[in-house]
Amino acid sequence: MWKLIIRNTVARRGRLALTLLAVLLGVTFVTGSLVLTDTSRRLLDDQFRTAAAGVDLTIRDAAAFDSAMGVEVERDPLPAEVADRVRAVPGVAAATPVVRGRGLIGVGGKTIVPAGPSLLLSWEPAPVGPFTLRAGRAPAAGGEVVIDAATARRHRIGLGTEVTVRAERAERLRVVGLAGFGSGEGLPETTVALVTLPEAQRLLALGGDYSEVDVVAADGTDVRRLRSAVAAALGSGYEVSASRDVAAASAAAAKTQISSLQMMLLALAAAALLVGAFLIANTFSIVVTQRTRELAVLRAAGATGAQVMRSVLGEALLVGLAASAAGTGLGVACAAGLRDLAGVFGMTLPDGGLVVTPRTFVVAFVVGVGVTVSSAFGPARRAAAVAPVEAMRRSSADRLSGRAGWGRTVTGAVLTALGAAGLSIVLAGPGSVVVLGEAAVSTVVGLALLGPAVTPGLVRLLGRPLGVAGVPGRLARESAARSPRRTSATALALAFGLALVSFTTVLGTSIKESTARSYAETITADYVVESARNEMLGGLPAHVYHHVGELPQVAVASRLRYGHWKDGQSVEALTAIDPVTLPRVTSLHMVAGRLDAVAGGGVVLAANVAKERNLKVGDTLAMTFSRTGVQRLPVVGLLRDRDAQALSTGYVISLDTYERNYREHVDASVFVKVADGVSRADAKRAIERALADAPTAQVRDQAAAVAGRNAMIDQVLGLVSVLLMLTVLIALLGITNTLALSIIERTGELGLLRAVGMTGAQMRWMIRGEAVLVAALAIVAGVGLGVAFAAGTVAALGRTVEATLTVPVGQLLLVVAVAALAGLLAGLLPARRAARLDVLTAIATS
Amino acid sequence: MTITSVRTDVAALARDVVKIYGRGETAVRALDGATLSIPAGRFTAVMGPSGSGKSTLMHVMAGLDTVDEGQVLIGDTDLGRLSERQRTLLRRDHVGFVFQSFNLVPTLTAAENIVLPLTLAGRRADQAWIDEIVAMLGLGDRLRHRPAELSGGQQQRVAVARALAARPRIVFADEPTGNLDSRAGEALLGFLRHAAHELGQTIVMVTHDANAAAYADRVAHFADGRVVAVTGDEGK
Repeated sequence: MWKLIIRNTVARRGRLALTLLAVLLGVTFVTGSLVLTDTSRRLLDDQFRTAAAGVDLTIRDAAAFDSAMGVEVERDPLPAEVADRVRAVPGVAAATPVVRGRGLIGVGGKTIVPAGPSLLLSWEPAPVGPFTLRAGRAPAAGGEVVIDAATARRHRIGLGTEVTVRAERAERLRVVGLAGFGSGEGLPETTVALVTLPEAQRLLALGGDYSEVDVVAADGTDVRRLRSAVAAALGSGYEVSASRDVAAASAAAAKTQISSLQMMLLALAAAALLVGAFLIANTFSIVVTQRTRELAVLRAAGATGAQVMRSVLGEALLVGLAASAAGTGLGVACAAGLRDLAGVFGMTLPDGGLVVTPRTFVVAFVVGVGVTVSSAFGPARRAAAVAPVEAMRRSSADRLSGRAGWGRTVTGAVLTALGAAGLSIVLAGPGSVVVLGEAAVSTVVGLALLGPAVTPGLVRLLGRPLGVAGVPGRLARESAARSPRRTSATALALAFGLALVSFTTVLGTSIKESTARSYAETITADYVVESARNEMLGGLPAHVYHHVGELPQVAVASRLRYGHWKDGQSVEALTAIDPVTLPRVTSLHMVAGRLDAVAGGGVVLAANVAKERNLKVGDTLAMTFSRTGVQRLPVVGLLRDRDAQALSTGYVISLDTYERNYREHVDASVFVKVADGVSRADAKRAIERALADAPTAQVRDQAAAVAGRNAMIDQVLGLVSVLLMLTVLIALLGITNTLALSIIERTGELGLLRAVGMTGAQMRWMIRGEAVLVAALAIVAGVGLGVAFAAGTVAALGRTVEATLTVPVGQLLLVVAVAALAGLLAGLLPARRAARLDVLTAIATS
Repeated sequence: MTITSVRTDVAALARDVVKIYGRGETAVRALDGATLSIPAGRFTAVMGPSGSGKSTLMHVMAGLDTVDEGQVLIGDTDLGRLSERQRTLLRRDHVGFVFQSFNLVPTLTAAENIVLPLTLAGRRADQAWIDEIVAMLGLGDRLRHRPAELSGGQQQRVAVARALAARPRIVFADEPTGNLDSRAGEALLGFLRHAAHELGQTIVMVTHDANAAAYADRVAHFADGRVVAVTGDEGK
């Protein structure tokens, strides 16, 4: 039996080639995603483990939590005497004070702004310090700095060069050495400045304090016991952790972004595989139809139905195995490309040797083989049902073209109707995103079942314009309508891809437009100063606010800060404001209470947050801050949702409250109102001059500020769209495949047309017309579904955030045009093949 | 004694045609110096056993295939000088076909199949002529049906109607009755003869069936890639 299966598969390799390609692309996608994220994780683990390798214990100020949303919290510095107290504990071989912070390196009047962090650290030789000298010597006095070799090479900084290091203070330092990290020249997308401990304290304005104390245990000391001893000696204000745990926690924080990227990539890979599954099912069903006689002969020769079924599934297994093997290899090769792609869209991932885990292989093969075999299951069952007598009948292809079954149509109609009902409920108001998800699944399954019944009618309707093109056009339309099951499966695969593309486009545009609208209505400031780096907390140095506020051209300057807090296990964000100046640069509407009441230490909630948490003015909210632990804040006011959205969070506290509970001291935005009698242009020039010592700060007008907020959405949208194109590509392969197979089936008919005088050009147009028609069907269904469900999502979101539907007609038209053109392209190859059919052979085939 | 011209118009001519399939040791000379002249307005049958090359002769005379040696003319046109596209257009405008099976496009109605060569050419059908053929073939009530709804005999009659619709110079029929029962077959042969005699249509039929060939005015006997004898009304 296996011999027969293998022979069959090899003999039909042409017909199965595109199926193989579809599975291969899906598996490539899955493998690439897994390899990329595994590699990134491993590299981050290695990096932090290297950083902590020579140290046993790390002592820091106590904090309620280490990190939130991938950002490590800042802790209060340690007083100098901590190191002395630690050294006194028996079993401590060395206790080294360390200072770490952020400091930008500038050279030749230009500041180096890497995509990642700009580290400023006190130099410690190994084993405490993770950096090793590559050239020159360690910093021995103030005014000296060692930088990482990678940055030095990229920016042509040599020994002896003067650089500016800008932290809380800026100083000109001379480069006396170049350092590497572990085996590498530096850290990915990072600049590193290493100075003496006193120099670091000066630059970071720490006085005599330290960031942490690193402890090396004496030989033969039990680290766990030492940890307890040190903790007991220091008391509860300090956190004594195994350095390995600190490294692991830091790595975990850095990996947050990778997890969401992995989820997104795998979701897209799943979409690609789903489209691939349609293609596979279609191909196998066509091949089985074409082989009906052969299968009947097998049955007549004594093969059981189960054997026939196994033979078809066996073929699918072979295709799945081959595609998975090739896809896994290709995926590993593509992982680096995927990283570059993510980089183009603003997601920085560490670079290094690829990590391929056994899990990746297992997942790739299970997915590849699983999808192929399960997609072939339906056709295999139909193959098993072929009766031996069909061997004697003629032209089975026509008969088995697949009219829709009655039960299937009814089920499909019911599911589609349920989906539509769910969508309308969400659009009308009460439904949630969950209802919407169920409606989407129900609609897609419903349409897949309903497809064959409605396709002929739809095709004839959509294909009406083709009639103008004379007989070839009419024939194109009729042959698309003739095999409804095939046409609808092919079109649905593409429709699914297009639905996802239009869904993300419409949703993204709607969110962006809503942000722009709420921002425009709420923020009345003339200018906003923000960091160009779009860091999680904003990242604007605190002195910017003071410099800008002191300008005579500026009437009001008001700043915002962002912070993270924990509510049980979930992380929330908040915004800190100045209740005196903020109303002069914004137009805020309170639903209840007063905004200026936050000055008393309370919190103002967005109206929807209050509703969701069932809180009203006068209640208290327990918030956990990293620095101060659980604090109970009185709710003093409710803010209109749109205004809260413009301030970026649903929780508003005063800057004073922030100061008490946070160590972080970077601003997110500084809103500026220009003084009376000063032109905006003059004011802008003055502000820009005042920002000379803050290289990452940017003066933005309202449009630029909105663009800055939307940059993240643009990045995600861009990456998703590019990757969704792969899904569309697989669907287009489906059109090519179906047409190619149907040409094989229609050889006799095509030969006849050629014999009675259809020219090659007319035949090519006929096949291309059919391809475009299938694409058109997909466009109508896909774009329609995408827009409808984007509208539903916007409606569901609209209950918690300000969101109104915006349909980007231009972009959607572009999607439509590209899809139609791609349909034409998909038809090119089959059209050429059809036109090149030898007339005589074609006639003989019939 | 008066001498009148006995020269009949020649609709098509094959002269010393050689067609070889394959190469080297496996080469097959399907046509080996075949010569045949088709008089206009007559019903000619080409008869021979299967494998004798008669179908190949039909294919090259109809412009479906090219020759390796020799010359093929339809009217005054030398097919050897035509490009693939020109041969397609010549077929469309001047040659009609009836095959043994699979004669009709399944997605088109009988009426649409009949005018297919005309619509492909973008020409208007001569409705009176179409009506006449349809009436002659007794297809009047089947025109709106699709091929799948017609009997085998009806399908072949639609094919004959299509072959005649464009008033081609010559109609080639390749075993047109091969798949029909004897009654339907006889009826079809009757129609072909009628088309030649009453409408003046030149018809060439390839067959291995002597009974079918008996309906023709002339019979060219074919064996081993050449015409070995012509019997019938020659010289009458």
